[in-house]
This record gives sequence, structure tokens and C-alpha cells, in this order.
Amino acid sequence: MLLYTLRRLLLAVLVAFTVSIISFGLLRLSGDLAAAIAGPEATEAQIEAIRVDFGLDQPLVMQYVDWLLGALRFDFGNSFYFRDSVVSLVADRLPVTLTLGALAIMFALIVSIPLGVLAAVKQNTWIDRSALTIAVSGQAMPSFWFALILILVFAVNLRWLPVSGSGTWAHFILPAVALGYYATPAIMRLTRTGMLDVLASDYIRTARAKGVRPGKVLFKHALRNAVIPVVALAVVQFGFILSGSIVIETIFSLQGLGLLMWESIGRRDFPVVQAVLLLIAMMYVALAFIADLLNAWLDPRIRVA
Amino acid sequence: MNKLLHLTLLSAGAFAFASVNTAPSALAGPDNDTLVWASDSEPENVSPYHNNLRERVVLARHVWDTLIYRDPDTGEYRGLIATDWEWVDDTTLEVNIREGLTFHNGDPLTAEDIEFTFNYVVDPDSGVVTRQNTDWIGSAEAVDDYTVRIHLDEPFPAAIEYLAGPTPIYPKAYFEEVGLDGFSREPIGSGPYKITEVRPGQHVRMELFEDYFEDSPRAEATIGTLIFRYIPDGETRLAELMTGSVEWLWRVPADQADQLEAVPDVAVTSGETMRVAYLRMDAAGRTGDDNPFTKLEVRRAVNHAIDRQAIVDSLIRGGARVINSACFPEQFGCEQDVMVYDYDPDKARALLEEAGYADGIETNIYAYREREYTEAVIGYLREVGITANLQFMQYAALRDLARAGEVPIDNQTWGSFSINDVSAITTTFFNLSGDDFAQDEQVAEWLQMGDTRTDPAEREEYYSKALQRIAEQAYWVPLYSYSTNYAHIEELDFQPYPDEVPRFYAASWK
Amino acid sequence: MSTVERHDSPFRRMKAAAVEDYIAPSPWTMLRRRVFGNAGLVVGGTIFALIVLMALAAPLIAPHDPYAQSLANRLVPPIWHADGTWIHPLGTDGLGRDYLSRLIYGSRISLIIGLATALVSGFIGATLGICAGYFGGRVDMVISYIITTRLAMPVVLVALAVVAIVGTSLQLIILVLGLLLWDQFAVVTRSATMQVRAQEFVTAAEALGCSRLRLLCSEILPNVMNPLIVVMTLEMANAILLEAALSFLGLGVQPPLPSWGLMVAEAKPHMFFMAWIIMLPGAALFALVLSIYLVGDGIRDVTAPENRN
Repeated sequence: MLLYTLRRLLLAVLVAFTVSIISFGLLRLSGDLAAAIAGPEATEAQIEAIRVDFGLDQPLVMQYVDWLLGALRFDFGNSFYFRDSVVSLVADRLPVTLTLGALAIMFALIVSIPLGVLAAVKQNTWIDRSALTIAVSGQAMPSFWFALILILVFAVNLRWLPVSGSGTWAHFILPAVALGYYATPAIMRLTRTGMLDVLASDYIRTARAKGVRPGKVLFKHALRNAVIPVVALAVVQFGFILSGSIVIETIFSLQGLGLLMWESIGRRDFPVVQAVLLLIAMMYVALAFIADLLNAWLDPRIRVA
Repeated sequence: MNKLLHLTLLSAGAFAFASVNTAPSALAGPDNDTLVWASDSEPENVSPYHNNLRERVVLARHVWDTLIYRDPDTGEYRGLIATDWEWVDDTTLEVNIREGLTFHNGDPLTAEDIEFTFNYVVDPDSGVVTRQNTDWIGSAEAVDDYTVRIHLDEPFPAAIEYLAGPTPIYPKAYFEEVGLDGFSREPIGSGPYKITEVRPGQHVRMELFEDYFEDSPRAEATIGTLIFRYIPDGETRLAELMTGSVEWLWRVPADQADQLEAVPDVAVTSGETMRVAYLRMDAAGRTGDDNPFTKLEVRRAVNHAIDRQAIVDSLIRGGARVINSACFPEQFGCEQDVMVYDYDPDKARALLEEAGYADGIETNIYAYREREYTEAVIGYLREVGITANLQFMQYAALRDLARAGEVPIDNQTWGSFSINDVSAITTTFFNLSGDDFAQDEQVAEWLQMGDTRTDPAEREEYYSKALQRIAEQAYWVPLYSYSTNYAHIEELDFQPYPDEVPRFYAASWK
Repeated sequence: MSTVERHDSPFRRMKAAAVEDYIAPSPWTMLRRRVFGNAGLVVGGTIFALIVLMALAAPLIAPHDPYAQSLANRLVPPIWHADGTWIHPLGTDGLGRDYLSRLIYGSRISLIIGLATALVSGFIGATLGICAGYFGGRVDMVISYIITTRLAMPVVLVALAVVAIVGTSLQLIILVLGLLLWDQFAVVTRSATMQVRAQEFVTAAEALGCSRLRLLCSEILPNVMNPLIVVMTLEMANAILLEAALSFLGLGVQPPLPSWGLMVAEAKPHMFFMAWIIMLPGAALFALVLSIYLVGDGIRDVTAPENRN
């Protein structure tokens, strides 16, 4: 297990390193940074001074090392647009996105685990097929469109829930539903497959033979085992959900990282774009690492692979 | 394993919820004496000299006082910080200051603050982005505690108008202590509202300034708290108004305004504003010498291609009208007797052929506001063979690209900072600066003359020449004046003015 | 055809024997039965075929030029509305363009994006996956690392950032999505190749001195084709949704192209009072993507029924 963990960790670090190079490259591709920092009315001399000041006259590798050292200390420089450091902007928005992501994944689990169990128990019946259709619809529905419909129905027509902002729990319900629905089919399928495997396994048959009530078999024994890989998958899905939040946050004017990213793109504020990109990628790397360990811990066969 | 699941989810939820911000929306409305107004753009810096968004003008009018106040009903100039003023000569204005004024932090407001403000904003290193509003100032000098002299390099008869608008006064001591960064985080002014919270990307909270002086010519402010909320999405703003989380909106598209009339508890008012829309074309060839817009025929073809009347009648409505001159028709010096380009797609096609573009033109078109209006323009251009691909971005990004000479054609709008004088628009965009797509020295010279002569008739004459040449050379496509639709809750007593500055200090609950 | 097969090779005989073992009805009959017995595949296939037909015949069936704007005829309601007319069966948009025609032409954009992206990403992914699976060892390690890195890049955010820097066009969107969506192809072909490789007929072919390239093309590729097609449908659907989302955010296909995602964005200002105007393009997207998913699921069930659960 230790060896496996170390190997996975090495891979995660390597990937993180590569991603940081890509993010760095993206900012450099965006144009002359010195001119961007200096602003539109700067003279050549001022731009040149900034170039030297910010070390932009150094070789690219040196610039990268400088930038990386800064990034490791959470120093991503200053926003071109706001007179504020990138990290304080990001820190301000991070809790909103994490809350949204956590709620979205919770919603996905609440919907897809019962659907998956139901589908497995009623395998190959119309219930099985309907459950799958409900889940797949979530994936096929454009999330921005689903979000607009939710606003139209639940916020404007029924007035059950607020439209935008992040003041209370209620503000997060619609965005979390819109975002979480997309993740349901993957989780639902995995639950169903896991349940079918477990239900067919010897010890469940034994439990049944011993006369344990069917409900107890299902929930106490079968689900408990089937849910293991689902947790690992949910962790990875959480990473995907974070990157999907850009669309949802924009629609609900939720002041999270996604909205910050979208606006920064509109403002050509590339240091912020880069920082958000890097942060979300890093979160994904970390989550994938955790998921790997979870899977390996739960299923010893993986450790040797 | 259930435990594991619970643990994972609970910890994820817990750390995420620990620090969610509380937005102000829940506490809005007349019951809490809080007016939430929402808009689509967010100033990059709350300091009024360091952004040129309309929202800035609105914030500035509430938080900072200017020397002079122009009564929006009568157009009469009255002293605000000033008590009176006098031209010592053509280039020296002496202003007497009211005694006993204080800034929000309790510091007294004296002539030194005015001297500091004006000398700071004309300093090339101050990072000011609204230079056109202060370029006319040479320097300021405090004669004594309550007298200040403003020295001009050249005569500038529109000075009083500028002193009554985009020239708020800063507190010298505080600004020097905290610097621009500190100031933009915790700004201090001397206006009827003080800023109590600035959250970039979210909101600016303002509260009534209790020590605001009593005999101010402004209406007495009554609403306790103002919150400017930044909500980028138009439909979200609308939904917030309909569901009662926001009390006041503007720039509601005509279609929705019509429909909103039927919504109970919502009032809609509309009117023409000083803002005009126009296309700028890269006549100077800054994006490349082979740029088709360097050809007069192409620019004229673009002018003929667009059915501006149809855009006004169908899309904008509510008091908007077609303009033909590069300014707002009621501004001083806005010559109306200029060349007019009728909607004539055949002529446009013929002109394009004449210019050697029989096969059409493909270009990027830049825009930052009301996408639908720009798309209508794109539709008309397409009819005559000009394929314009839309590049939509935020204002500051477009401004910087345009100043860097990278924009072949854009759909711009300008509200002249609500200044009733063509120097606030035509000169701004034809002064050979980065904002000037024409780079026409003759036009710039005439405008310069117009700006600096003291005889109004002479000024009009120069502006007329410049505007006629601008139209004749088809540097712009003047499109239309804007109408703005305001939507607010019925309980708010709100009076709109054509200068596009909502005066919340004059608003009250019914 | 390879020389090996012409000479009735041992592994060919082996394959044939394996098949003959359980054939009672002819394999075609079996396949037909399985295809038509699969409701999802039939429904999805029909919707998908209809949309493809609509895209191909767009100039013939669209009642109007999808770009012709007429500001005097803005926001005409659809036919089921009291004020609807047959001139514009689905009404017009905010610039007076015929909505039905724009929807019909919009299917072309979605399909082009979906197919082209799946081809680009399929080529990249399959190449990487086959190399990793066939060569194993170091090659496999490097490619696995590339796949993991790619997975760590949030697709929507990277696509947005690239588009913001480079500018937007249909081709660029295809290229960007193609360069981002290859991971599943690589994962699936890698493991399929590993399985095939372990089988005797490949070892035998190698023993007979087949060149590696020829072997990859003639033996492994046909064997990984089925899972590849399934992944292709998934990625097509994915690409279509991503393009729609990018266009909706204003950083995808640019106006006046009638991309369905863009149409939702353009219709958004009218959504509170004319709900149909956002419903139609969104529903079109939903139908197309759902049909592709159903076809993908169906193909998997039909070609590999043993993997179904």
C-alpha cells in the first residue's frame, strides 16, 4: 500500500507540474504582459521599466521558475483589472464554488444512489429502464438550459427560491440541482452495476438463505459494499463539477470562481484566468489522488496494478 | 462504509459552508430602508477618476461632492462645495469654498483638498483614465483656506460644466496616507452618502452621511442605505426585481419593459438619454494599411448599409432617435446640418464594388453592450456583403484594445459623462489620441479651437466645421441616441433625468 | 488483406471455430433481432437519423434564409399561439429571423462540431491508446501520464481560456475540443488493445513475422472498433454540449451563425415572457444529445451484451 501510495503521489506531483507549465504558457500566449500591466496610456519607456521590474526580460525558463515559486506561496501577482492581488480575489470566491460543488454532488448522490439500487433490484424491467432514462436525461440536458428552466419555474413563477446571490442556503439549491444533475448517470450506473455484482455474490445469497429480511439484505449488506466505488467516483465527479460551475455561476450570478473566470476572460485579466485554471486543475489532481487511494484501500487487487 | 460516505460529505460540506459570504439581498426594501440597485458592469476601481463606467458616475454623484452643482430641472449652476466663483481672466478661475464642510472621516474640507485633487489628477503618473475630463486644468492653487484658483493653459469656456460633473474632490490627508490602493478599498468623500463596504465583484454599500451640510442645493437624501449590486446577467437582474430582491434597475430592454408594465408592484419609466451609439471605423489604418475601412467608399457603404430608423423603431424604442452627427443633438455645438447617409443597401453595394470589394469584406466587429443591437448591425452589414464576426467583451478590455489600435470596427456608446457640451464627446474621440480612429489633424485642430474659444458663436463655428468633415469623411456611423428604461418597485418615488444619472439621494419611499 | 489471412492461418481457423460453436440462427439474424429488440437503439437511432436528414436537406426544407433579418417582424409567436402564422411556423427571433429555419440550419453546426471533434479526438486517443496497450512498459507509462494530465485540465475552462486568447471560429472550436476530448478514446483502446494483444492470434501473427504496424492496423484496430464507436458517440454528445455551452457563454460559435447554444443565449432576454423562445433550441439540443446517448448505449448492448451489467 505504501509503495502504491508513493507511486500515485509521484504521478500526481508530475501531473501538477505539467499543468502548471501549461497554465504558465497560456498567460504568456496572451500577449505582451508588460504592456498589459502598464496600461493603455503607458509610454515605451514605462513599459520597458515594467518589463525589467517584473523580470519579463529574463529567459522564459527563469520566468517560469519565478512564477512557480510565487505560485507555491500562493502569490499569483496582481489582477490587471482590480487593484487587488489575484489570491485575495480567488480566496474571496473559493468558498462559494466549494459550497456549490459539495451541494451539487450531494444532490447527485441523493438522486442517483436510490435510482441505481432500484434499477438493480428490478433489473431488466421497465423500472430499470426508466431509472436509466431519468439519469441519462440529466446528462443530455444542456446545463445552461436546465438552469434557465429552473429559474423560470421555481424562482419566477412559483417564487419558492431566490434567483441569484449566495446569501443563504436557499440561494444554492437551484444552482446545485442544475449542476448536480449532470453527474447522476455516471453515479447511478456504477451503483447499479455494483449492486448487481453484490446481489449475485455468495454471501448475499447466504444471508438470504439464512432468512435475513430482504430489506435488511439490501441496505445493510448489499448497498454497503456497492457504495464503496461510488464514493471514489463521487470524489472525481466533484472535480468535474468544479469546472462545470462556470456556466451555472454565470447564470445565477453566483460569485464563485467560475463567474470570476468568465468575467476575467471578458476583461482580458489573464493573471486571474490563469490562477483559477491552475487552482481547479490542482483540486482535481488532489481529488483524483484521494479517489485512487480510496479505491486501493477498499479493493486490495488494485494496489498491485 | 456508510460512515466513510457520511464523513466525506460532511467534511466537504462543513469546510465549504464555514465562510460563505452574506450578500445583502435578504435585507432589502423599504421595510429595512435599504435600496438595492443593480447594474451589469462593475467599476474596476471605485475611485471615480480611475474608471470610466457609467456606474462610476452614479457612485461618484452620491459619495463625492463637486465644486459646482447643476440643477437638473433648471440647468442652473449653483455652488456645492463652492459658494461662488469668478473668472479672474480667460485662464484663471477663482472659487470661494463653503466653510465648515467635512469629509466622511471627519476631516475638514478646505482649499488644500481642492488644490491637491486637481493637481493630482492632471499628474501624468496618477493612473487617471478619465483624462479628457480634466485635461483643461493646468494646475490649482490654494490662495487661503477657503479660496482656490484654477489655472488653465488655454481658455476653456466649458469649465463650469466640467466642475459640476466629473470632477469630485478628494481628501488630501487621507488619500496621501492610504494611497490609491487604500483609497479604492475604503474611499472617503464629502457627499450625502458614505461608502461603508466595497466588495469587488459583488457590491458597494453606502450609508447616509449624517453630517452632510444642511443648505446643500441637492435634494435632501432620505433613504438610509444604498447598495449597488453587480449582477452581470440581464435576466437574473430582471428576475431579482420581479421577486423583490432588487428595488431598482435600468437599461431594461424595450421588449421586457413593455412586458414589465403588466407586472404588479413594478413601475417602468423610460426616456431618452444623452448616451449615443455609433460605429467607429479604423480610417487611420492602425490595424494595417490594407484595412478596407481606410477607404472612404467603404466607410460610406457601411453608413448606407444600416437601417438606423428600423433599429430605433423596432429594437430600442422609448424616445430614442436616429442621429447623424458625432454627438448628442442637444449638446452645445452639436451641428445638425451635416451629410446624411440614407439607408440604401444598393448604393452600399455599389460603393463597395467601387472600392474594389465586390466580393465583400470579412472583419471582426467589437462590442460590449446590448449584443442584440450589434447583431442587428451585423445583419445589415451582411446584406451588403460585409461579414462581421462579433467579438464581445467587457468595456475596459475593449477600450484598451481600441487604444492600442487593434480594432478595425466597433460598436461604441458614449454618455459624455453627462456633460452638455460636444467637447465631452467629439473632442474625446477626435483628438489624435488612442481613442481617435480617424487621426485627422484638421478635425482635431478645429475641435481644439472650438474647445478653447470664449465666444460661443465662434465655438459653434469651429465645431460645425469639424462635425461636417467627420460626417463627410464618414469616420463614424452615428447610430442613435439611447433611451433607458428604468424599472423599480412601485413604492419607490424615483425621478429619471436625461443625463442618465439616477439620483437616489433625491428618491424616497412612497 | 494480410498475407496471413489469405493462407488460412491458424488463428483465423480458431476464430471461425469459436464463432461456429454457438451459431444457431445466422449471425445477421441475431444482430437484427438484437438491434430491433433494443428500444433505446431504435428510438435514438430514429431521432438521430431524422436530425441528420434535416441537416443534409436544410436548404430544401428550411422555409426562409436563416440569416435574413427583418426588424419589422420581430418575435412573431409560433403557430400554436393565437397570433401565430404559417409564414413562420415556429415564429421569429429578436431580429425577425425565421426560427424554424435557424433551428434547421443549427443542426448542421451541432453535427459538424460533434463529428469533426469525435474524429480529431478519436484519432489522437486511439493512436495513443493503441500504442500504450500494444507496446506496454515505458510507452504505456508515458501515455498514462499524458492521459492523467489531460484529465486534470478542466475542459470548459481551458477551452474558454484558449478561445479568449486566440479568438473564436468554428474550426478553432473543433480543434480545441478535439485536442481536449481524446482521453476516453485512449483509455478504452488501451485496455482493449491489451486484451487483444494477450490473445493467441496476435502472438501467432507476431511469430509469423508480421510487421508491427500492419498488425496494429489489420488485427487490433478492427477488434477495438466496437468500444471505439461507443466512445465516439459519447464524445460526440459531449462535444455538442460543450460547443453549446461555449456559444451560450459568448465564447463559442459567433453570431450570426445559428448555433443552438447561441440561440438560447440570444433568446434569453425574452425568456420570462416568451418561454418558447428558449425552449425550442434547448429542446433540439436535448433531443440530439439524448438520441446519441441512446444509440451509444444501444450499440454497446448489441455488440457486447456480456458487458451490459
